[in-house]
Formats: sequence, structure tokens, C-alpha cells
Amino acid sequence: MTPDPSLKIVIVDESPLRAAILEDGLREAGYVNVLRLSERHNLLARLHAIDPDVIVIDLEAPSRDVVEQMFQVSREVKRPVAMFVDQSDSSTIEAAIEAGVSAYIVDGLKKERVKPIIDMTISRFRAFARLKEELEHTRTQLEERKTVDRAKGILMKLKGLDEAEAYALLRRTAMNEKRRLVDIAQSVITAAELLK
Amino acid sequence: MRRLAIGFIPLTDAAVLIACAERGFAAAEGLHLELHREVSWANIRDKVNVGLLDGAHMLAPLAIASSLGLGHVRVPLVAPFALNLNGNAITVSNPLYEDMEQTGEDLGSGPGTARALGQVVRRRQRAGREPLTFSSVYPFSTHSYMLRHVLAAAGLDPDRDVRLVVVPPPYTVESLRSGLIHGFCVGSPWNSVAVEAGVGRIALLGSELFSRAPEKVLGVHARFARSEPGVLAQLVRALDASARWCERPQARDELALLLSEPRHLGLPSDMLARALEGRLNAAGDGAARSDADFLVMHRDGANRPAPAHALWIYAQMVRAGQTPFSADAAAQAVRVYATGLYDAALAAAGGAASVAAAGPAPADPVGTRFGTPFTPDDLEGYLARLGTA
Repeated sequence: MTPDPSLKIVIVDESPLRAAILEDGLREAGYVNVLRLSERHNLLARLHAIDPDVIVIDLEAPSRDVVEQMFQVSREVKRPVAMFVDQSDSSTIEAAIEAGVSAYIVDGLKKERVKPIIDMTISRFRAFARLKEELEHTRTQLEERKTVDRAKGILMKLKGLDEAEAYALLRRTAMNEKRRLVDIAQSVITAAELLK
Repeated sequence: MRRLAIGFIPLTDAAVLIACAERGFAAAEGLHLELHREVSWANIRDKVNVGLLDGAHMLAPLAIASSLGLGHVRVPLVAPFALNLNGNAITVSNPLYEDMEQTGEDLGSGPGTARALGQVVRRRQRAGREPLTFSSVYPFSTHSYMLRHVLAAAGLDPDRDVRLVVVPPPYTVESLRSGLIHGFCVGSPWNSVAVEAGVGRIALLGSELFSRAPEKVLGVHARFARSEPGVLAQLVRALDASARWCERPQARDELALLLSEPRHLGLPSDMLARALEGRLNAAGDGAARSDADFLVMHRDGANRPAPAHALWIYAQMVRAGQTPFSADAAAQAVRVYATGLYDAALAAAGGAASVAAAGPAPADPVGTRFGTPFTPDDLEGYLARLGTA
């Protein structure tokens, strides 16, 4: 399915980084009409002014309820908006919600024209979540290593051990107490601070 | 222990759900409720739909709209327990309140407040000024229907004479301050938040408009009600016990503290305690607006999903132009309010007795205090009187 470059897409996302990643993806796929809005007040007026065909919005944005106002046919709404899939396509709804994103399209747009955009959105949101998780993991590891290093230093100084001995002591204690090495290291630091 | 994932929006009327999970009422029924704080009603609906949530704190009109497939893919929901009646208020900006004061109407009364609003709107029209903008929390909400009712009682056409929009509660203060909106109808405690921020004044408590308006329900997917009726009955009994506790004046301070925790509402407990008591600061100068029925969590059979309430909600949807009237849809709306499930769950626990003690159903089940009264036995006549049929 070739993308339809004429579609105007708005991304409403509280995370500017994620929005940028999605925008890049959509542009690479050939969509040229992509706009990012950080979630702000008066979103509805801005959406009216832009008059998009597709709105992608992250699930952590309270303004989802504002966008749903556009479901209503009224003089405030130029073109009614609908949820992005028809009744039968529950697997796509599920995938999107689990990925943390939702999308709305102008009523009457054919599903085939929008499907590649939705698929791309879901996959980029998932990739972003994985990336965030990995970063978080790396950061935690780094912090834990610093904690262990500090504890080793304290033991070396107070007990006259060398580095390998200090590390072995921490490890043995962790094993005996069935606790994590970093927790023992933290206890050593806390105790040292108390006894200062 | 059966685990259930339950969604809520940080509002005072999530109290019965939160206390149910945190004060042992769920555990006493063999349930473990895992609370999930959500940021939008759309999220609540979608997560219940795909099964990420087993049930949720839900706007009663949202449960009905979703079941009827209004404005969205159809999500068949069931409401076996009403979490509260009332709890909303209408707040207006300081400049609008000053304009209303200048009309000389009695702003201490509901009808006087409506008349004052009507005069201000017409005066603005004559002066060729921009129409006033009011916000509610969701298109399908009691809040938007309350605004419409007040405006209609003031002789105004809500679709022509003012603008009605949606603003999420956490944004109402900023929107009022910046003049994007001139007033709003939201649930507690967001009216008080605007008052404390000094940007607005509570003009009308929802209970001054309707003494018994439906508000939030426990909403679950129809497939859950079908496949696990026993678990749902346990949940209804746990909520019943929680609601009884929540309404005790002796529990008020503890409940306010529980709600004020950052993982729940994250707002000051004294503000929440005043809301629970129905004694709100209406203005920065400490002027109070009080009503013991401001928020009803249990008494007088408040938790029993009343079919007449579902019918009232459906009538408001027709009145707002959200759907054309159909007798079939009205009957379908009534079925969302699973009165039978509630009665069956509490039959053994003496629930039927508490319903009987509430006395016969009043002629107007929402207790309309001014404006067109609701007549559930003559729905089409009611709509005709509103000029919508």
C-alpha cells in the first residue's frame, strides 16, 4: 500500500521526543503534511484551524476528551471525526491502546488510506517504550555500580582491605543474607554516614 | 484472591472505589482491587473495552453512550452500581460573576442565578460581543446536561446563544484565568481548586439544580457481567460496604486524607473534607455555598442503578441533539443500568431492605428544582415540553 501524501496528520503528544520520532517515520514513509502539537490549552481551536485528516494522540494526554468532542456534529465542528477503525477491527484498537496511543480520522476516510499511518504509529510508540525501558535499565545499572564502588571504598578504608577483598566481603554478605549486592552496599553507605 | 484492575479519574466521587480497595472492603469479599489512575474518560472507556481494565469509575452518560454506539464504536457496558449522586457545581469567572451581580437578581437562589446568567448573555448579544463559552468534562456527561438545563431555564438556546466546549478538569483553572472559557461545570474538587486559585466563583451547586442527579457508576464490559456474575456480585457487595462507610460523618477526615494521597487525587485534604461534607467555599473571601446533598454516596438508595435515571440520561442526549429519539434505544439505555444485578448481589445482604426503606420512587426521579421537571412515565411529553421531540 503506497502512502497517500495528501493526508494532513496532526500528532498531539506530551513527549516531544516521541512525537519527533513518529514525525520522522511518517515523513520517511512519504507523508509530507505532518504537524506536531504539544498538548496545550485551546487544542480544539487549533485543530479546527489546521483541519487535519488524521489526529494521533498519546493516551497520557487529558485532551483526548477534547478531541472526542469532535465526534459531535455541531456548528463548532467543520468535519466530524471518528475513531480510527471500524467495529470489526478490534485487534488494531487493542494494539494501539496497549502501545499507549489513539488516533482519530475524519469521518468518511477509507480505512485503507489510514491503516499504514496507524501501523507506523503503533510500531513507533512501541519502539519508543522499549528504548525508554533500556535507558532506564542502563541508568539503574550505572547507579548501582556507583553505589557498590562507594561501599567498597568505605570497607577498604575502615577495614584495611584491598579492592578484591572488599568486593568479596560484600558478595558473601549478600549471599548469606539472601539480599542483592547493591542493597548490602547501600546499607554499608548508610551505616558509614550514621557513624560519621 | 481474585485480582481486578479498576480505573479511576482523580475526582472526589472516586471515593467509594478508592476506599473499597484501600480500607479492606474488597478483601472482605475475597477481591484484590488494583487501582489505575487515568487521565481521560476516553482512556477509561477504551481500556475497559480491550480488557486492560476490568471495571472503572465512569460517567453514567458515557456508559450509556458507549453501549448505544453514540459517537464511537459500540462498547457494550453494564453499570451494576451507582457510585454517587450529585457532586458537580458550576463555576464562573470573577468578571462574569460581577456582571451577574449587577442584574440585581438573587444569586443566592438557583432560579435567580439562572435569570442573571440569561440577562448577561442577552446584554452581550445586544452589545455585539462574543458569546460566552462554558466547558464541561466530556460530551456525554451530566456536566454538559446540567449546563444545558440551566441555560434553557434562563430562556437561552445552549447551541446558539453560548458556546459549549470540553476542557479536562486539570486545565479549567488556567482556561478560566486566560479567558478561554467564562465558566464551567465540573465535579468536585475542581470547582474549589478554581476558587482557591482566585480565578472564579461557585455560582451553583449541581444539587441546587437536581436533588438526585445520576453521576458516576461502576462500569464493566458486558462480557465480564456475563462470564463472571459471581465475581461481579462480590464487587457490588464490597462497594456497598465501602459506600456505607464513606458516608459516615465519622469517616470523613480519614476518607479525605486517603483521597488526598498523591497516588489518588493529590489535592489538599481539607478541601476534600469540605466537599464530602457539602460545605464549599464559593469565593476567595470564604463565602460558603452549602448543601447536605451536594455529594450523595449511599443514603436513600443512591447506589441502586435506577432505571428512571438511565432514562433521564437518554432524554438529555436527545435534548442535546446527540441522538434522535427511539423507543428501542431508550429501552437499551435502561438495560445498561443493571438494577437486577445490584438487587441480586445484595438480596442476601439485606440490600432489598435498604431500598424499601428509601420509600416509593418520587414523581421526578432526579428531583428537578427549577426548569422543566422530568416525567419518566411520559418521556415523549417531556421531550415535547423541552421543544426537542
